[in-house]
Amino acid sequence: MNREPELTDAEIERIVAEAIAAESSAARLEAQPPSSAIVWWRAQMRARQEATRAIERPLTIVHGLAIACLGGLLVSVAGIAMRGMKGSFAWLATASDTLRAAAGPLATIDLSSRWILLPMTAMVVSLVVASVAAIVIFADE
Amino acid sequence: MADVTFLDARRLSAETDATALTDVALAMSEDEFRAFYDRTSGPLWGYLSRISGDRQVADDLLQESYYRLLKSNAAFESENHRRNYLYRIATNLVRDSRRTPRPLFDDGVEMAELATPESHETAESRADVRRALGRLKPRERAMLWLAYANGSSHAEIADVLGLKTGSIKLLLFRARRKMASALRGTR
Repeated sequence: MNREPELTDAEIERIVAEAIAAESSAARLEAQPPSSAIVWWRAQMRARQEATRAIERPLTIVHGLAIACLGGLLVSVAGIAMRGMKGSFAWLATASDTLRAAAGPLATIDLSSRWILLPMTAMVVSLVVASVAAIVIFADE
Repeated sequence: MADVTFLDARRLSAETDATALTDVALAMSEDEFRAFYDRTSGPLWGYLSRISGDRQVADDLLQESYYRLLKSNAAFESENHRRNYLYRIATNLVRDSRRTPRPLFDDGVEMAELATPESHETAESRADVRRALGRLKPRERAMLWLAYANGSSHAEIADVLGLKTGSIKLLLFRARRKMASALRGTR
């Protein structure tokens, strides 16, 4: 049997150190990492995207809750409306009588009276202002 | 580093300015980062490729390592401290990597891909080293690489690999013997 001689610890360390150092030099020659400008730019972009996502996440939750609330409200309103529909035809049958009864006192109102004219003017002005405000708000959005 | 020209970098920088929506806090300034990256990216790529055994993984994990370093809030006492932290991130990323390594260290060593011309003898010798490294555990490879390629101290190796400093001497001794045995076995 032709056995190789045992190596001392110092010899082993020298052999391993030389081998790793040679491989390290080769690896440095092989290495073609992207430029620092590219890596910096990608890091910036990624950090911005993550920051944007972190901001948007709570907003999405709020939006979801608002839509759920609105949905619940609509269902409630629909339920109430359905219940009210049951008596709607009976009300329609007596509607002409009701209108005639309501129109009687209106015919006697004096429209030139300031007690009537002032509230009417305020109501019209409010409607105009609200409409203009709504247009301005939605135009900005 | 040769694949991007100065003009490309300027163009990217201009695009960055154009798309800047908010300032993002990163752990380093651009100049500081670029200087640090230029000093460390080559050696780190070598470490990643030899520890993972896969060049593609090394490419991917290199950028991820620097990104995590930039996003970290750690305070660094020195350049060495920052470098060791970077290597710790890289080591953990390799450990967490689920991808199957390509046979960088197998008998079909990717000698044809080497950029540098070398003699047949040198090529054979390097193939032997790669095969020997391939027979070690990833932690043993990392330990030997840190000790003999990076010249890290026992304390630094322990810090990077998350081990006790006192255990490094014995673990290194075992890894060296295993590597030497593998080297002799390949020849």
